[in-house]
Amino acid sequence: MVMEIIIAAFLVIGGVFGLVGNYGLIKLDHPMARLHAPTKATTLGVGGVLIASMIYSFAFEAEGSLHELLITLFLFITAPITANFISKAYLHRHAHEETLPEPNGDTNWAVLERPEWSPEPEKTQEG
Amino acid sequence: MSLFLIAALPFIGALLPGLMIQAGRNTCSTWTGIISLSALIGLLVHAPAVLRGEVITASVEWMPALGLNASFYLDGLGLLFGTLILGIGCLIILYARFYLSSKDPMGNFYTYLLLFQGAMVGIVLSDNILMLLVFWELTSLSSFLLIGYWKHLPEGRQGARMALTVTGMGGLGLIGGMLLLGHIAGTYELTELLEKRDLIQADPLYVPALLLILLGAFTKSAQFPFHFWLPRAMAAPTPVSAYLHSATMVKAGLFLMARLYPVMSGTTEWFWIVTLAGLITMVLGALIGIFQNDLKGLLAYSTVSHLGLITMLLGFSTEAAAIGAVFHIINHASFKASLFMTAGIVDHEAHTRDITRLGGLRHLMPITFVITAVASLSMAGIPPFNGFLSKEMMLEAAAHAQLGDNAWLIPALATLGALFSVAYSFRLLLHTWFGAERHDYPHHPHDPPFGMWLSPALLAVLVVLIGLFSQGLVGGIVQTTAASVLGNHAHPHVHLALWHGVTPALYMSGVAVLGGLVLLALYRPAHGLWHAVPRPDAKVIFDAIIDAATKLANWITDTLHDGKLTRYAAIFFLFTVLASWHAFSGGAGVTLPREPMQADIIPIIAWFALIAATGVTVYYHRHRLLALVVLGIIGVVVSLSFNYLSAPDLALTQLSVEVVTIVLLLLALNFLPEFTPKDSGNGRHVRDILIAVFVGGAVAALSYVIMLTDFAMPSIAEYHLAQSHDLAGGNNVVNVILVDFRGFDTFGEITVLGIAALIIYGVTEGLLGSKVRQKLLERKPNHPIAGDEHPMMMVVATRLLLPIALMVGVYIYLRGHNDPGGGFVAGLIVAIALLMQYMASGYDWADKRQRFPYHASIACGVMAAGITGIGAFFNNMPFLTSDFGYFQFPPLQKFELATAMGFDLGVFLAVVGAVMLTLESLSRLAYRRGDVPDEYPMDINPSRQPKNEDH
Repeated sequence: MVMEIIIAAFLVIGGVFGLVGNYGLIKLDHPMARLHAPTKATTLGVGGVLIASMIYSFAFEAEGSLHELLITLFLFITAPITANFISKAYLHRHAHEETLPEPNGDTNWAVLERPEWSPEPEKTQEG
Repeated sequence: MSLFLIAALPFIGALLPGLMIQAGRNTCSTWTGIISLSALIGLLVHAPAVLRGEVITASVEWMPALGLNASFYLDGLGLLFGTLILGIGCLIILYARFYLSSKDPMGNFYTYLLLFQGAMVGIVLSDNILMLLVFWELTSLSSFLLIGYWKHLPEGRQGARMALTVTGMGGLGLIGGMLLLGHIAGTYELTELLEKRDLIQADPLYVPALLLILLGAFTKSAQFPFHFWLPRAMAAPTPVSAYLHSATMVKAGLFLMARLYPVMSGTTEWFWIVTLAGLITMVLGALIGIFQNDLKGLLAYSTVSHLGLITMLLGFSTEAAAIGAVFHIINHASFKASLFMTAGIVDHEAHTRDITRLGGLRHLMPITFVITAVASLSMAGIPPFNGFLSKEMMLEAAAHAQLGDNAWLIPALATLGALFSVAYSFRLLLHTWFGAERHDYPHHPHDPPFGMWLSPALLAVLVVLIGLFSQGLVGGIVQTTAASVLGNHAHPHVHLALWHGVTPALYMSGVAVLGGLVLLALYRPAHGLWHAVPRPDAKVIFDAIIDAATKLANWITDTLHDGKLTRYAAIFFLFTVLASWHAFSGGAGVTLPREPMQADIIPIIAWFALIAATGVTVYYHRHRLLALVVLGIIGVVVSLSFNYLSAPDLALTQLSVEVVTIVLLLLALNFLPEFTPKDSGNGRHVRDILIAVFVGGAVAALSYVIMLTDFAMPSIAEYHLAQSHDLAGGNNVVNVILVDFRGFDTFGEITVLGIAALIIYGVTEGLLGSKVRQKLLERKPNHPIAGDEHPMMMVVATRLLLPIALMVGVYIYLRGHNDPGGGFVAGLIVAIALLMQYMASGYDWADKRQRFPYHASIACGVMAAGITGIGAFFNNMPFLTSDFGYFQFPPLQKFELATAMGFDLGVFLAVVGAVMLTLESLSRLAYRRGDVPDEYPMDINPSRQPKNEDH
């Protein structure tokens, strides 16, 4: 009974965060701000469900399961990279150098570093 | 000698001339001659038995289910033709040795000649009519090579093409006719088929079969209206003309008619078609022949005429006529081959074949003159030469033939044909060899070396001997051959003699000789008249027909395949749906015995997602990148539904394929504009929408019906499910089907996959040096290029994931036999793992660190699968039979090893290689001018020194 309550609590937590994340995705109007919302859904939302699943397997099934940890690991690896790429793409396509803050220690933002395309074979390797 | 060996010897021997030519022209021709001669001797060994009336057979079952057996038989007809083909072949080989100049590639010539010889021997010895068809087509092909032997002459090429077109068309008809015949008779073996005369002639398909078979025979034997190709084929070297166009190939049509005579002849249709075609050909060919100035042209039309004569005799369908036909085949071959060879000698010596430029050669070339005189007198039908005897028999048969109620037309026309024949024979003799010696020959002629005139001389001797001692020399073979032509166990009475007493034929012959000489005396006015009368030119008509056919073919192709993918798709789908509708409406109607399953909420959500994604793709299809992203949703939903419907293997595969496909399409999008331009009007849109909805609806309806219907036959799935563990030691039925039950299919598929990847590699490799490459290099990106192409986070993550992904690949591979997985999915997973490195760190950086070429991976995969399959031989099992066993090595638990793992390893390697090679090939094209090879794994060095540390 206690276990069931705990599992239900985690499921509800996960569900609430999933709902909040998706609501935020609709509610927030700036792309960079929007990046925040789904992170709730992928970390806390999915995480809650995974924890519930693990507890369920230990409490009610013959063998416990730790597969969910792997799912968490992969989420932790992929979610930041996805967010990183989305923000890079946004910066590249919509941001102007003047409106951006000074890059920390470098001459320019990395995505804006590249010169305009030119047909001449010229390029310097940065870094 | 076995009949197999006789038929195979020329084909095997065809390899020799190409090798022997290295040792010189004499060695080359000697070896070719030895091949022919041994086949001839092998054939003649059977002669005594055949002449006693026996039939020699040899048979091996080849594809019994199709009725195709490698069976040969030798009866009188086969012996006669075989002897002609091989015997005259030997003489031609000798003659060609001296005829071909040192510039001509002799090895090629003898190879083609032996190929042709083998095909001809195959025709006359075949017992199975399907095999006969194969040899028939081979003669068309090899004669094409021989006619076009002088590739530098346009007439040679055109003549070869025309001959191939006409005889090839006839061959097509013959295939149809023979299949009909075999269908009627219920057998494809001639020996059985020839016994079924009444059955065949009573069948309603008899007439179509007859027409088609005669089309084949008439085109091959140059019967009117297909006679025109033979004179054009005279552009061939003379040995070819002498061999193909007098003695052998053109007689293949006659052979066919004679072969099928027992079952086809005797009907009204046979009589009218064959007799009339033969009669017209005989008269027309002889008439045109008179006015030919080219020696070989004259002989060609004379051949046409004589072939017509034999055809007409076969058409009469009487015993005497058949005997005459057989006898004339021998006689015509002897005197015509000899005449062709002497014409070749004249051409060789005087450097012209134009009769108007020749004359008076008899003193300059006395030996050749004697040979020509004997042969041409025989051709004219002058006693005591052999041509006289068979012509008498022809006239005798014609005298008794009635065309409907008309009793005089055939005898009169036959006499007219004989008259023309006398005229052109004497024109050949008198205008070329008699008259005053001239001084304006292009080259001063004299008799050729011994080897060159030996062959025609031997034939001329035969002409005389057969004429004088016909009964003794050839009576037996004519008797046996006529018996096999007439069939039905006939015992024809053959009596060959010079003098038959005063008969109608003798009068007709006399009229013909006198009339012919008178016509020749009046040659000048006749020649003027001939040229004053307009005639259709066969070549012009032929070219017009070919042009029209080409135009039609082009029109059809251009209409159906105009390069627009939409049109291909529309035609393909509409045709498929209409054909399916046709099949469906002829069926038993629809009953739906199964109950539909209850729909859960989750599939319905997935279904909505699928529909919505499809709609979005259609709506946004001009925005290519967006459409591609939405396509990804469709792929995921499809994978999930596989999983939901208990097909985890398919789901795994679909998911991996989806990833690779999206990457591939992204690479392709790199070369395309961002937006698809709108290039069709509203009307076309409406049409396309209608087609799409119609076809989609049809497919949906079909799926619905199939899913609610029981199988028409018991499904093999039950067997697979039941036997998978017992027979193959695997619990994963899908994998067991792939690597074991249908392993041969999979073997073919990985081979095809590998070939496809290699072709993509080849095509892109070809593009690298082309103008297309230049265009790609200069292309302007749609947006300014972003910096930091290879961000650190991505690079580090993919490096971390690489070993994990590889381990997953190995795991999926190993568990494949019993659980979802297997070599195919594992290959895709490993390919994706490698692909991530390319994407993260750039093509150059990753490629430099990739030491094992993907081509080799494909090759290793196919070989691993093949070797595993071959391994079954050592187990005394057929190819790809797998074996398995359970092993235990302490401290490990008991585990299973199956040979299918080796096969699956092959699948794995081939998939990895094919996927990576394809993507690599496309990536190579993606360079733009200005791109610098990626030297470092990341664009921004994380250990760099920031410029201002003040933050």
